[in-house]
Amino acid sequence: MHSFNPTLTTCTFCGVGCGIYLEKSGGLITGAYPSMSHPANQGKICVRGWHVHEVASSPDRLKNPLLRVNGDFQEVSWQKATDFIVERLTKIFRESGPDSVGFLNSPRCSNEESYLLQKFARTVIGTNNVHHGGPLHRQNTIQTLIEMIGVPAATNSIGELEKSEAIIVDGIDLGRQLPTIGGRVIRAKLNGAKLIVTGSRRHRVAEQADYFLQIKPDTDLLLYGAMAKVIVDRGLVDYRFVRQHCHGFEAWLQTIQDFNLLAAADRCGIEVELIENAAIAYARARSAAILYSTGVEARGVEPIQALVNLALLTGNVGREGGGLMPLAEYNNLQGICDMGVMPDRLPGYRPVSDPKARKALEKLWGKPVPPNPGRDIWSMLGSGDTPLRAVWIDRHNPVATAALCDAAQVLEQADLVVLQHMFMTNTAKYADVILPLVAFGEEDVTYTSTERRVQIAQKAIDPPPGPIPAWHHLVIVANKMGARWSYASSSDVLDEIAKAVPFYSGISYENLGREYGRQWPCTTDKKLGTGYLFEDGLPEAGFQFAAVHRPPDAASRPTDDYPFYLSLGYSLYYWHRNVLIQHSETLRREYGILLLDYPEGFIEINGQDAKRLNIRDGAKVRLVGQVGSAVSTARVTDEIRPGTVFVPYFQQEIARQIVWTEGARKSNVDNPVFVRVEKA
Amino acid sequence: MRARIIDRQDLLKIVDLLTTEYQVVAPFRGRGRDTYFDVVTGANRDLIQLHLPNPYYPPKRYVFPQSQRLMTLRRNGDLQIEPYYDAPKRAIFGIRSCDVAGIYQLDQVFLKGLYKDVYYDMFRKNLFLVNVVCTDSELDMDEDCFCVCADTGPAARNWFDLQIMDLGSELLVVAGSPRGEALFSNDFFRQATPAHVEKRREILTDIRRRFDKSTSWYSAAIRHITLGQVTDETWEEIGNRCLECGGCSYVCPSCNCFTVSDKQVSENEAERLRLWDSCALSGFTRMAGGHNPRKAVHDRRNRRFFRKLAHYYIQRELSVACIGCGRCVNVCHGNVGMPAVVEIIRRTKAEAEQR
Repeated sequence: MHSFNPTLTTCTFCGVGCGIYLEKSGGLITGAYPSMSHPANQGKICVRGWHVHEVASSPDRLKNPLLRVNGDFQEVSWQKATDFIVERLTKIFRESGPDSVGFLNSPRCSNEESYLLQKFARTVIGTNNVHHGGPLHRQNTIQTLIEMIGVPAATNSIGELEKSEAIIVDGIDLGRQLPTIGGRVIRAKLNGAKLIVTGSRRHRVAEQADYFLQIKPDTDLLLYGAMAKVIVDRGLVDYRFVRQHCHGFEAWLQTIQDFNLLAAADRCGIEVELIENAAIAYARARSAAILYSTGVEARGVEPIQALVNLALLTGNVGREGGGLMPLAEYNNLQGICDMGVMPDRLPGYRPVSDPKARKALEKLWGKPVPPNPGRDIWSMLGSGDTPLRAVWIDRHNPVATAALCDAAQVLEQADLVVLQHMFMTNTAKYADVILPLVAFGEEDVTYTSTERRVQIAQKAIDPPPGPIPAWHHLVIVANKMGARWSYASSSDVLDEIAKAVPFYSGISYENLGREYGRQWPCTTDKKLGTGYLFEDGLPEAGFQFAAVHRPPDAASRPTDDYPFYLSLGYSLYYWHRNVLIQHSETLRREYGILLLDYPEGFIEINGQDAKRLNIRDGAKVRLVGQVGSAVSTARVTDEIRPGTVFVPYFQQEIARQIVWTEGARKSNVDNPVFVRVEKA
Repeated sequence: MRARIIDRQDLLKIVDLLTTEYQVVAPFRGRGRDTYFDVVTGANRDLIQLHLPNPYYPPKRYVFPQSQRLMTLRRNGDLQIEPYYDAPKRAIFGIRSCDVAGIYQLDQVFLKGLYKDVYYDMFRKNLFLVNVVCTDSELDMDEDCFCVCADTGPAARNWFDLQIMDLGSELLVVAGSPRGEALFSNDFFRQATPAHVEKRREILTDIRRRFDKSTSWYSAAIRHITLGQVTDETWEEIGNRCLECGGCSYVCPSCNCFTVSDKQVSENEAERLRLWDSCALSGFTRMAGGHNPRKAVHDRRNRRFFRKLAHYYIQRELSVACIGCGRCVNVCHGNVGMPAVVEIIRRTKAEAEQR
């Protein structure tokens, strides 16, 4: 079908991967709107998707490579920039070894550039120091899902939510993070599905819940244990499924045998009947889905295990409309992990330490693969360990990420910082070389959505003179260092990915271009891809229950001196820093309002608590924790659970003072923090 | 009625006539249900169809683009402001009757108020509308459209230049303006007979009966809204299903809110752009200083439906601002498009009256 206007493509904002059309005029992208037929979004997109075209035409995008000369950036040729990188890199790894170099990418990187980044690190430099700047807790999901069900990805498709009879939404604010999925959930509920929402925050989708379990922060483990107990006690376990396909059930059963429901309900701060009714609704449903965040509102290992246990108890793995959906709020969080941008896993998730896995890739790549796992992002950008001498960063902005408080120092002292990006970011200020990349709509590359759908983001217009695709930067530098990579186009890179990642073996640009991408496993004998995992049959190896440790009772409770739970989070407040949001007039307005209303930042407190403490909206407050205190402005909102204080992650000062003390890196998911709130 | 008859195979002759004077856009099939307007060229001319789903991206983009440059600002010593006018002569071949009503609504806002919008005026004067009547219930209509409730279709009564209706073996062409009538001097147009007019009446009567799946029976909702009888609880029920995407405003053929943005292009040059905006978004009514008269989502939702359904506006414009195309039904995540909201208003009012 001949057409030059508009272009069907994939939105690159969040992990839904909505089908959208880009309108073009005069060599510019002038509009965007949804595809009605795309299986994930069916005519709907969120406010971000409606403006996704505004980035390409941003006047402040970088056009030419920049090299730091005597402290200032100068525009230089690609030749000069890449020669400089090669010279410096070669010197560094000859002097200090391959592990003095680290590679970081962003969950917004395409599959092609991510695959080549880890290939570069492993075969050109010889290090496994490669990690994504996405949330730490994605690792928890990968580890846990591999152990328990064998596949680290969503078991079912977004479209199947309309067939789910019950849906559990764990914590995540779907309306703000993945609105298209939020809409699916709302419409499923309107069609009769039972909606169970858990979490301490009353977000938009929670308003539709049949059962809103507004638990105290960090009590989700107790809640899911309690729900499992109800399911067992009421005889709602799918014993046929458990007996035929699961291991470890007996051991797991031991751990909940003496679970005290009333005590759990009390600890969680909700009625025991609510827990019972929610559990029964979930277990009675013919197919029930569980949605949870692996990114912005990430989970620790044990809550994920508890959620998978629930799915196994009720036979909801390998069932249409059922399953587990570990949600990716970033467009390619799934894809970059599939590509092996991890220090301990190769493309396809095989462990670096597995000699057979290394051998298979060595055969494909013709180069040895280093056998020891590398450093993760916390180690690479933390001030505790041996500092890296060279850091290569693709799109990530670690300096602006609150969780990586030491990134600036680490980059400052490194001898080479290479940054691939479209704009000058906070991190760019620490770079020695900046390589400009092309914008969305200016290249053909692939992304993998949260439902395992590998899709092409189509080229709609030519890039302006200057920038080139990110994957191509790596090819130039690799070849200058003797690699002999020959990829004429991104399609060639994808063809190699199909050889490196077993469950991508049937994927090619041609296959992806036929309908709306393909959901992996998409193999040579299953070229149409896979709607839901195990649709052709449950695996021989079966599934594994996890005997989850019950959280200790006394250790983590509020006291009279520190009566409020401190909850750290992202939600709406994360995206305003996003480089793409900043370049759209409307999005900047929508996501920037809170910063206009509260220019010095804010913490959130519930209306009842505010009234009791005589704190008005906009008043200065002091949060006092056991090890430190911080002052901020109060934002009063009833989305917050009474008894909690919510602190957006970008409030680095608060995070530093109260949570990440003594160089501790963990968030409060594992160690809850309590504070008191005073007028300041 | 200035009506003529043409043979089916002469349909594209109309396109050919128009291409001598206008850039012609027509709807084409994309993937699945997706259809879109595209410029007619030698390469795609033979793919033009009369019956296909209505393109999702509303035709208002031809008079009110999603992103539009208004002027260039240059600093060369002093400040130079150069308006940017780029309104090619354009013909939309195949605009639906509902969407024609949408253009009419935009005319009221941009042309009939105190100020005439010069950009809109230029686009509008250069626009030739060929309306195609929806006669195929399988292909032209989908389950979400409700033009009979909005009184905008299936055949537009006015505001088009030409109207084409498929009578089966022949096509009936009606002129709605002198520009349209001027085309009748070509010899492939022949006189229509009373029999043709009767055939048209039959087809329209039949088509009107097929809108049974999605209806938006406004009248009661108009009354409740106009009299201020819809409670906060009802608006909250609606607002709780809204995910604030702005889609309803963007896809609506008659929605026309916009914002203006200045973008620095180079050191001494900036552009002023007009961009679609939406009253669904929280920042839309936020004022400098921080006050926001419609901060809560349900306060924004009630504004939308007041604008679409309150009698004051209908009287002012002599038509309902909702033109019954059904796009908001398709675009809404929480199923609070027009038909659903009308139903909620009527239901909650009836429930309240029962108590």
